Amino acid sequence: MSEAPVFAHASEAELARILDYYKVEWQYEPHVFPIRWNSEGVVVESFAPDFYLPELELHIELTTLKQSLVRKKNRKLRHLRELYPMVRIKLFYARDFRALLLKYGRLDAAASLIGIDGQPPPRRGEAASGTAGGGVPVGSGSAGSGAADG
Amino acid sequence: MPASSLEKDVAEILIDETTLQAKVAELGARISADYHDRQVTLVSVLKGALPFMADLMRSISLPVRIDLMEVSSYGGATETSGQVRILKDLSSSIEGEDVLIVEDIIDTGLTLHYVTEYLRGKDPASLAICTLLDKPARRLVDIDIAYLGFEIPDRFVIGYGLDYGEIYRNLPYIGVLRPEVYGGE
Repeated sequence: MSEAPVFAHASEAELARILDYYKVEWQYEPHVFPIRWNSEGVVVESFAPDFYLPELELHIELTTLKQSLVRKKNRKLRHLRELYPMVRIKLFYARDFRALLLKYGRLDAAASLIGIDGQPPPRRGEAASGTAGGGVPVGSGSAGSGAADG
Repeated sequence: MPASSLEKDVAEILIDETTLQAKVAELGARISADYHDRQVTLVSVLKGALPFMADLMRSISLPVRIDLMEVSSYGGATETSGQVRILKDLSSSIEGEDVLIVEDIIDTGLTLHYVTEYLRGKDPASLAICTLLDKPARRLVDIDIAYLGFEIPDRFVIGYGLDYGEIYRNLPYIGVLRPEVYGGE
């Protein structure tokens, strides 16, 4: 049995729960796509979409944080689509995630799932899990193997 | 609560009753032509598609069976764990039948994906999808829609079967709910 992934944000954990509920297999950050190289051909920037749904051959990237980070994410996504046109990826902004919560009657949980409030606080005395802060664990789905960067 | 007292919560009418009924008639005629001389089983997932199915079946000039299913929903009754399950299954076998799933709206596609796979396992002769509304903004699962009423923008819609908190289903049109009603922006 694979170890449950530790999510970087509560919104990712919520999406994982939704996918689990509807029996859609998912992987967390399994693929890392190089999107920028230096003059020596060394990768200087890559993008690891949050989720990959293997049955649907679809990547999902959640962006529920502040606008400056959304702009950075949009740029990365644009590069990815230019470099890897066969890769199917869907970007969910905060408004999209909020609409999902509304659809499932979970809008009351929005404050704790979206934006800064959805990020776990850094935990003292624990080794980093490869994500920012301590991460949000969830107990289902399958763990990804790629290192998170995006 | 009379439908008229609900209208204060409607920001705008997206699809009026006349347009809806014209589309239902059009879909019924197309289905009748496509399934000519065959019997069709309409399967609706409770509760939103009920008004649409009731009107659609009367627009189809073929032998029609109807059946209903109910499927649990994420977030319903505080369900945020576990998995989707059938709350009410079909009352008759669909093995060897021509089945048309009748939906009110396709959004993420997650529920319909589950229902389609479930019904496919019951060996129908054919399986197709008819939806009144398609809202593709947050589609996760590609759905092959054989009969489509309207593609709509990314708005929270109510009426003609669609609800918010189990209310507004009895409005005779498709309306957009005022954001203040659900705490939206």
